[in-house]
Amino acid sequence: MAEPLLSIRDLKVEFSTRHGRVTALDGIDLDLLPGETLGIVGESGCGKSITALATMGLIPDPPGRIAAGHIVFDGENIVRADAARLQNLRGADISMIFQEPMTSLNPVFTAGDQIAEAIMLHQSASKAEANRRAVELLRRVGIPDAERRARSYPHELSGGMRQRVMIAIAISCRPRILIADEPTTALDVTVQAQIFDLMRDIQRQFGVAIMLITHDMGAIAEMADRVAVMYAGQIVEKGSADAILDDPLHPYTRGLIGCIPVLGKESGREERMPPLAEIPGIVPPLHLLRQGCAFADRCPLAFDRCRAERPVLKGEDHTVACFATELEAT
Amino acid sequence: MSTVEPAAASRAPEAISPLKEAWAVYRRNAPAVFGALLLLAIVAFVLYGTLIYKGDPYEIVWAPQTPPGVEATVPLGTDNLGRDLLRGLLKGGGPTLTVGAAAAVITLVIGIFLGGIAGYFGGWIDDLLMRITEFFQVLPALLFAMVIITLFSPSTITTAIAIGVTLWPQTARLTRAEFLRIRELEYVTAARSIGARNGRIMWKVILPNALPPLIVSATLTVGVAILFQAGLSFLGLDDPNTMSWGLMIGMNRQYILDAWWPVTFPGLAIFLTVLAVSLVGDGLNDAFNPKLRER
Repeated sequence: MAEPLLSIRDLKVEFSTRHGRVTALDGIDLDLLPGETLGIVGESGCGKSITALATMGLIPDPPGRIAAGHIVFDGENIVRADAARLQNLRGADISMIFQEPMTSLNPVFTAGDQIAEAIMLHQSASKAEANRRAVELLRRVGIPDAERRARSYPHELSGGMRQRVMIAIAISCRPRILIADEPTTALDVTVQAQIFDLMRDIQRQFGVAIMLITHDMGAIAEMADRVAVMYAGQIVEKGSADAILDDPLHPYTRGLIGCIPVLGKESGREERMPPLAEIPGIVPPLHLLRQGCAFADRCPLAFDRCRAERPVLKGEDHTVACFATELEAT
Repeated sequence: MSTVEPAAASRAPEAISPLKEAWAVYRRNAPAVFGALLLLAIVAFVLYGTLIYKGDPYEIVWAPQTPPGVEATVPLGTDNLGRDLLRGLLKGGGPTLTVGAAAAVITLVIGIFLGGIAGYFGGWIDDLLMRITEFFQVLPALLFAMVIITLFSPSTITTAIAIGVTLWPQTARLTRAEFLRIRELEYVTAARSIGARNGRIMWKVILPNALPPLIVSATLTVGVAILFQAGLSFLGLDDPNTMSWGLMIGMNRQYILDAWWPVTFPGLAIFLTVLAVSLVGDGLNDAFNPKLRER
């Protein structure tokens, strides 16, 4: 295994709320290898976005804080880095694209200005040079008529184009890690495919490592090399994308995969489509988490031990935190 | 460089900036356009009138209390000392408008700076600054301004400062509210994610988005400041050697029963100016918030 570019160890993030202190991330271990795509999947409120923000050093503090653990980027623990160091890392080495391209661009500046801004923050380029490169980047991310589009305001662009502009901003300084927080959730399915194509293309060309955060197993299947499944602030299953999609071990992962509608089964119309599976219930509010497995209340396989004790990740390459699976295996 | 397949093959339409868009809305708003023209006319009257109709407004030129329209050399009549009222209106307009505009600028500068810091950083900084703001807000405004003017010698500048220092808390609260709202938006996080520093985020990312309501409030502040200045002059708390509309009313108020014109003309000038400024302010409000108008 190659040396990881980003290595998160035992990361614990806490938020103080009116219910007292809650643990949003409870001991996360993740590795991101150079040039790979790591998918992080889970329902809303599982801590996926918090993982991304923690990596960027952007946990809102207060109310949040990193209570324990390391985030090591290229040999440097950035949890303890000071504000100036983080500002230099952000955008230049690690950058991020967001879920809502509608709201993640500043409405009062043109697309070109915002890309040029990012370039000038990290590189000594003149305004004219930055503008020229902004147009080049817009062309690079597949925006037609880039010279003119550079002068467009965000509200004049479609959702897909805005996400392309966001990607142009994110790659403007050739980062080594690109964190994509639900980059296609707000887009049409056809546009989703285009954005994924673009991301793959950029990954090929720049060798950037992508941390893809999503709740969409389809996106994982399409993009990810390795996958971490998160539930209630913990990683419940981790492994290669193939292993997890073909042979999911954790009941939660199985549930997530069961939620993907299967279209056009071989035999065609006469065979009725199987009813869409669902996972009953919702992710428990963090302040109500008790001892035991967080998924126990929704789990079809849960037994007494699941409610008393918390399972830990076990396994070689494909690891899972589930007592029921352990029983199955033995 | 290679390109990915284009998102759409069409040619991009020409970009329309938010300002252009606001202007398009403003242009269709008849009262607002009227206000803007009226304001322009008043400014032109004050700026160029003195070039055409020259003379010292303090000079005694004709019989005291000559009514308007009686004597061609003093078209608007004279006051109780025989001074030309038209000269007074022209000369007095400058300081009046200057005080209004300067006070609005001072209000904006103090208000945006303190309100921006309070709203952006929050926490104890916010608490401290807001307590200070409240302290200024509960002071009786006119009395406070009077105290400042009497402490320093009255002049156009001290009057503008006194009014600005009295009126800034509203702007500060408005700025704070806007910063509190905007700092939570995703594009602020996005700006942080490309490595922008606090100062840059405050003044280059948040402030441009917070400006529209502040511009509206500043415009309305101009009107308030002009009225304020008239009030202070009326009370005699103004530089008697700098002619202003408020001063004219103040000097002639004892004779209002004998001669209506020496107070009416400057009063009318103040009324029209404040009206024009308010119409412009309302128009800007509609232009910047088209959604509010539909309600």
